Amino acid sequence: MNELVLTLGWLGIYAPMALGAAASAIGCAIAGQASIGAMTETEGGYGRFVGVSAFPSTMVIYGIVIMFTLNRDVTPENAGGLFGIGILSGIALMYCGIWQGRACAAAINATKEKPEIFGLALAPAAIIEGFGVFAFVFALVISAGIS
Amino acid sequence: MSDPDAYIALISSLPGSERLFVAKQPPLSRLRLDGRLKALTPEDARVLKVMEHALSWNEYNMDVTDAQAVERCKQALADIPQPTLRSLFLERMDLRTVVAALRMRMQGGSPPAGAFGFGRWSRHIPANWGDPDFRLSVPMPWIKEARQLLEAEDPLGLERLLLSVSHKQLKRHAGRHIFDFEAVAIYVLIWNIFDRWAQSNAQDAAIRFEKLAQQAMANVADFDFERVSA
Repeated sequence: MNELVLTLGWLGIYAPMALGAAASAIGCAIAGQASIGAMTETEGGYGRFVGVSAFPSTMVIYGIVIMFTLNRDVTPENAGGLFGIGILSGIALMYCGIWQGRACAAAINATKEKPEIFGLALAPAAIIEGFGVFAFVFALVISAGIS
Repeated sequence: MSDPDAYIALISSLPGSERLFVAKQPPLSRLRLDGRLKALTPEDARVLKVMEHALSWNEYNMDVTDAQAVERCKQALADIPQPTLRSLFLERMDLRTVVAALRMRMQGGSPPAGAFGFGRWSRHIPANWGDPDFRLSVPMPWIKEARQLLEAEDPLGLERLLLSVSHKQLKRHAGRHIFDFEAVAIYVLIWNIFDRWAQSNAQDAAIRFEKLAQQAMANVADFDFERVSA
């Protein structure tokens, strides 16, 4: 039984990193495809498109920081806490990354027609980033209570 | 339900559909559009071809009968799996059925026996043949204006009204689809409307040019060009 509990603890430590990486990969791929499409249609502003398509890469950074914060000796007493915080923060980061990628793709698609709305079009992606930051910060706060 | 992220690059590489109607020059030719549509999977490309084959007037011969047209639409509907595209297809067929009935009645036709045309109003229309708007003015508020344009013998005005109604129908469905196959299909159908719109403008210009030319030539009808050149 203890072995299973310890395994779950290690799973919890690595989950934010793995799910954050998956989120960033999917999000950047979605937004990147939009930027490639927009580049074939527009005459300039390519750098902006590429920059926006990299927005979801922050999720893996949050995941790495959470992983290092949770990283400690896994015992039967702390494994449950590590598992809960790690898995749930990882799932939150994954959803944020994927949907941020979609929001960025929509922003790129809109700004290729109307460059003047570039800043406003990024608002949904920025709001989603805020939710990712919530998941990140409170994972750090809660993890301080694990022995 | 199609993959919502299936055609992100393709949709992003197309000029916005709103721009099609405000640009002085077409921002996207059919040749370029076909080039971009090569990104479609074979199955999606087939569905799009089926839809265009049934909806585009260019795909119909002049001597096609009503029965043949209805049969083609039935076959097309069986080949379209996406609920949004099926709904869109049926709405367009309803529009065509109503306009065909208006034209038929205008020419003095009697109410057809049994079903008429294609779609949910095919039995309703013959049953309400005597009503000016076939009792469809609530679900189809444009029908009154269409009837008036038909009675005023303004085919260009009617064509524009129908294109405008079709465009609104497509835009209503487009709001729920951003990067999937339905979004691509709706874009192509809007492009077809733009193409017909541009053609109707060209025809309008040609008619106006013909009238002006006749007026100008009327003043010089007796002019002896050979004597002038000598």
